[in-house]
Amino acid sequence: MVSEMTAPPTVPACDADLIGRSFDEPEAFAALFDRYSAMLYRYVSRRLGPEAAEDVVGETFLVAFSKRHRYDLAQRDARPWLFGIATKLVARHHRSEAARYRALRRSPVDGPAEGPADRVAAGVTAWASRPALAEALAGLPRRDLDVLLLVAWGDLAYEEVARALGIPVGTVRSRLNRARRKVRSALGDTNPMDEEE
Amino acid sequence: MDDLELLRDLGRELGDEPPATLARQRGRLLDAARARRGFRLPGGRWTLLGVVAAVTAAAILVPAFMLHGRGAPPVAAKTPAAAKAMNILLVGSDARGGGPARSDTIVLVHLPADRARAEAVSIPRDSLVDVPACKSPKGKTIPAYRGLINGAYSVGGVPCLVKAVEKATLVPVDTAVEMDFRGFKGIVNALGGVPVTVPKTILDPQGRPLLPAGRQIVNGEGALAFVRARHGLGDGSDLDRIKRQQQFMAAVARRAKSGVLADPVRLARFLAAVAGSVRTYPRMGPGELEAFAGSLRKLDPGAVRFVTVPVRPAPEDPNRLVFDEARARTVFAPFRNRGM
Repeated sequence: MVSEMTAPPTVPACDADLIGRSFDEPEAFAALFDRYSAMLYRYVSRRLGPEAAEDVVGETFLVAFSKRHRYDLAQRDARPWLFGIATKLVARHHRSEAARYRALRRSPVDGPAEGPADRVAAGVTAWASRPALAEALAGLPRRDLDVLLLVAWGDLAYEEVARALGIPVGTVRSRLNRARRKVRSALGDTNPMDEEE
Repeated sequence: MDDLELLRDLGRELGDEPPATLARQRGRLLDAARARRGFRLPGGRWTLLGVVAAVTAAAILVPAFMLHGRGAPPVAAKTPAAAKAMNILLVGSDARGGGPARSDTIVLVHLPADRARAEAVSIPRDSLVDVPACKSPKGKTIPAYRGLINGAYSVGGVPCLVKAVEKATLVPVDTAVEMDFRGFKGIVNALGGVPVTVPKTILDPQGRPLLPAGRQIVNGEGALAFVRARHGLGDGSDLDRIKRQQQFMAAVARRAKSGVLADPVRLARFLAAVAGSVRTYPRMGPGELEAFAGSLRKLDPGAVRFVTVPVRPAPEDPNRLVFDEARARTVFAPFRNRGM
């Protein structure tokens, strides 16, 4: 089984170096794909599902490649830039994304998978809260949703989210707070067991 | 658990691990990168399913539809082929004059003896396979080698491609049908165009409009743009494109039923266009094509199942694909059932 995209054997160069090199040597850009396509795929497939994710990831790199001359080479890490492009492409699918969350809101699904006891317990909580979470996600305005999901599903830090979306860090914080407040109130409505400690 | 953690859990549940086919997106990137270098890749980007649907519609389903409803099926009696299951290899090539032709679409179609349904399996053109020795069109012997499956077509044409497909899939091929851009356009033109609804203006790679938005009757050129367009229509996903192609097939079928069918002169011209636009191996003339189409009377386009061979990145080159042997065997199992 192939579980991950093959990583380049030894590429000590940072992302910015690779992008710089790709000005003269366009194929060098493929190394960025090897580094980040899997990560981006996970993020996008969470939001849009596997079918659209493949295409969106491909597009992300094509867009990035065509804009590589505008990349700020002082930024060594290209992840925020790529996640920003992917997030913009995800926005084109906002209807199917919202429909996906709405469907989750209703669909009763199988219980949590087998596993060590604490994972199962955690799974039960997550499972029980799923309709409420989905409801909250379906109701969030896009700008707040993007910040929330870049943090939760893209694993970006606040500064990285700010770079990805081209907004100040303060705005990231306020959008994230607003989004989390809504999520918590949605959870609180249906799941009093999960009140803040 | 706090809200972020619950959300992370939900994400893990909703998301997916990257599939092997993601390698193809790397190929797309490399194509773009190489185009930057001045290597202009020949032809356009025929997407697999795009041409599958178009070629299938044009070469097989359209005649079937036209003959359907012509009253008594006079052809049934003279078609021995109708009695047995058949495997057909469809080859969509991007030959447009200039540069070597490449097989952009390779699809194996299985028709069971009762013709109640069809299975169409696309074979990615970047699949690495063992190409057996065969003869080039000029009679030169090409020794066996390991390479891309569409390479077999470039060096030895359809006969070599058939051998390579048979070896890779273990499916015996009865007939191969080859069609290029020109053939596809010829068929649409013979129908007098096909009505489609274009949701958004389709642009060419230079940004010039190819097809305006709105309901219209497209000729061959327009139809080609419609089935090939990848970006900027619908939500841009593969599924969306498939939907569009199915729409196109249905439009072709309706067009054939209401127009050409009613007029024997146009019908004859249309069948001649189909026969002249596709090359068949072994060769079929208009009569045989009609007989073959007659055997498909019962097949409705909704009963055609499209799948792609299960693949994974090739161990020797992450830009290439190899068949996932075990799963591919399952997909091709019905193709080996010759009895029914």
